[in-house]
Amino acid sequence: MLSVARRRALAPYAFISPFYLLYALFLIVPIGIGGYLSLTEWAGLGTPLWVGLDNYTRLFGDASFLTAIVNTLLYVLFSVCVVVPAALLIAQALNARGLRGRDFFRLTFFIPVVLSPIIIALLFTLFYDREYGLFNAALRGFFGWGGIDWLGEPSWAKLSVMLLVLWRWTGYLTIFFLAGLKNIPRELYEAAAIDGAGRVHTFFNVTLPMLKPVTAFVAVTVMVGTAQILEEPMLLTKGGPGEATLSVAMFIYREAFTRQQLGYAAAAGVVMFVIVFLIGRTANAVLGVGREK
Amino acid sequence: MSDVTRRTFLRRTGLIGGGLLAAPVLGACGGGTGGGPAVTSGAVTINLWTHDPNITKTFIQSAKQLSDAPGGAFDYTLKTTQADSEALVTKMVSQGAAGTGTPDMIGIVISVFPRVMAGGIGKQLLLDLDSVVAPVKDDLLRTSPYSIDGKLYGLETDTCLSVLYYREDEFKKNDIPEDVGTWEELAEIGARLHKKTGQSLGIVATGDNTSITNMFLQLLLQRGGGYFDQSGNLTLDSPEAVEVLDFMAKGVASGFLLALPDPYGAPNTAALKNGKLIAAVMPSWYNVYGLQTNVPEQKGKWRMRNLPKFAGGGHIASALGGTGFAVLKDKPNTAAATELLKRTYLTKEGQFLRFQHGGYLPTLKSLYQDKDFLGYEDEYLGGQRLFDIYTPASQDSPVFYQNPNLNVLIEALGGPMLETLQGKKKPAEAIKEAVAAYNSKKGN
Repeated sequence: MLSVARRRALAPYAFISPFYLLYALFLIVPIGIGGYLSLTEWAGLGTPLWVGLDNYTRLFGDASFLTAIVNTLLYVLFSVCVVVPAALLIAQALNARGLRGRDFFRLTFFIPVVLSPIIIALLFTLFYDREYGLFNAALRGFFGWGGIDWLGEPSWAKLSVMLLVLWRWTGYLTIFFLAGLKNIPRELYEAAAIDGAGRVHTFFNVTLPMLKPVTAFVAVTVMVGTAQILEEPMLLTKGGPGEATLSVAMFIYREAFTRQQLGYAAAAGVVMFVIVFLIGRTANAVLGVGREK
Repeated sequence: MSDVTRRTFLRRTGLIGGGLLAAPVLGACGGGTGGGPAVTSGAVTINLWTHDPNITKTFIQSAKQLSDAPGGAFDYTLKTTQADSEALVTKMVSQGAAGTGTPDMIGIVISVFPRVMAGGIGKQLLLDLDSVVAPVKDDLLRTSPYSIDGKLYGLETDTCLSVLYYREDEFKKNDIPEDVGTWEELAEIGARLHKKTGQSLGIVATGDNTSITNMFLQLLLQRGGGYFDQSGNLTLDSPEAVEVLDFMAKGVASGFLLALPDPYGAPNTAALKNGKLIAAVMPSWYNVYGLQTNVPEQKGKWRMRNLPKFAGGGHIASALGGTGFAVLKDKPNTAAATELLKRTYLTKEGQFLRFQHGGYLPTLKSLYQDKDFLGYEDEYLGGQRLFDIYTPASQDSPVFYQNPNLNVLIEALGGPMLETLQGKKKPAEAIKEAVAAYNSKKGN
């Protein structure tokens, strides 16, 4: 039997133990198992065969994996340099005083986030079709030419995936910027107006600095999210043509669920985790997320 | 102060958590797949997984007939799960690892079958059907796509014979003979037609790797080539492969073949609807799932014929697709599931039922001479007697050898093949590149 003093000492730990148990069960242990699997060869049944660092050695000599890393970095770059600014500009437009139909616009921009991926795949396959697609038809209508092979030409296919990312996620990010814009004190804009600042000056000297914490959060979220991009290339191109749009997450999926190489896929997962972690930490440090000035 | 430090506490809870998780994991490694004694007669509920609703209908009907048959040992109830073909195998493997919850029967699509060839999955989970098919073994048309190390683990649902579908009205309008003897002749006619009307007589895919390579595989098999031989050796690096790829690339360049990202999706439907695509090499199931579904208004205008031969040789038919139906072994319902599979797949009644429900072609050679099949006329194809075409095709169709590394080859082949179709690479160069990439990617 435990003494009263000892029971009292243990009581707080007993109360907080469910969290640690669940944390260990659903986070620490799976990560540990993933790490262990990455050092084995395993098809999903039977006993994993220990292969040490073989999977990692193979991985860094695998041209497909390197292609996937480069593609993923391009997606990340596009998201940070195009999607985030686009979301900010749309938020700024939606925040304009006296804008009619604001809720309608918000809804319109948010719809892609809640739309079924199947519908998105169907729609965009049609939009991008070389012969019958909306985009080429529009190009032909406006400029008299429009024979772009959006999904069949490797560089255009990459751009097609990026445009889908832009369409799908800009509205979602706009919500964060809108919330940030609402929190900027109106007095600052009034003071800028009294000082004779124009719209551009006000944007760069009042809006942007005041939005820095939100921007930093959005940028980090986008970087980490895009580094794990799976749905867009999978829906639109299945990683093709060739491997032109293959992402790291797709590579992992492909190795695990079309080739049944779970150990190899786990090794790629570990590498992706390290990359995402480094991107996240670096972005956090550079952008100062969560730091009060 | 307590002698239980925070560190000690975390260590202990970590160990408990690890232990809790390790127990089922270790249990799963035991590999059991189901409990209870074997059901040998009476009421039985079969858990059936498939991606195809028509297969579900067929099995439900077949199970009812088998239950009602005098002297039948089982009274069947079917519990069906319909999902994506990849997801079904993923779930079966996971349940197999967990030691419970596997289905009694599963349909494994031909392109997904290599997954169960890996790591001994098929051998551990699926029933070896050799003894089941023994009485009709020589009558079975296709067994190699679902065999592992010479043993059969799945029964083919559909022979998937490839034929040339064509618009009879457009052929007449453009004076195209319906009995052109060789692909080379048809390619010349197609190039002239495209120049004159902008129409095409076939498609190539330029989207994902599977679609790109499927169109190639279909023609390659017809030409007498293939990806692998019976022993699993890669046979892609062949004159036939170069010839077929060259044929396709020239066809795209001349407009004889239409390049589409998805051979079954919306762009294909659009090409069919506006009459830009007036012929296509496609498997038997394309009649129901491609033409009748997407262009019902063209009923009566389409016909089919056997494929023109390549001047260099080969077959008059090919095949693309298929689903192997397998039974899970060492389960209480294994015997009942095997009976149901035998009745649905190895008897004339079952094969006719499948043909009626989903247009699946017989998988027994003898049925291609059976009067019930021979007399069948297809309304959509203008009342054409299908087996006038399928019977000779079934007698001269190529063999496809499955391989656990098929998906690696598809990945290796897709990129170079696309570049060839786009005129950026020579066919021989693309094949060499694909072979080199395959050898470096296939691993152990």
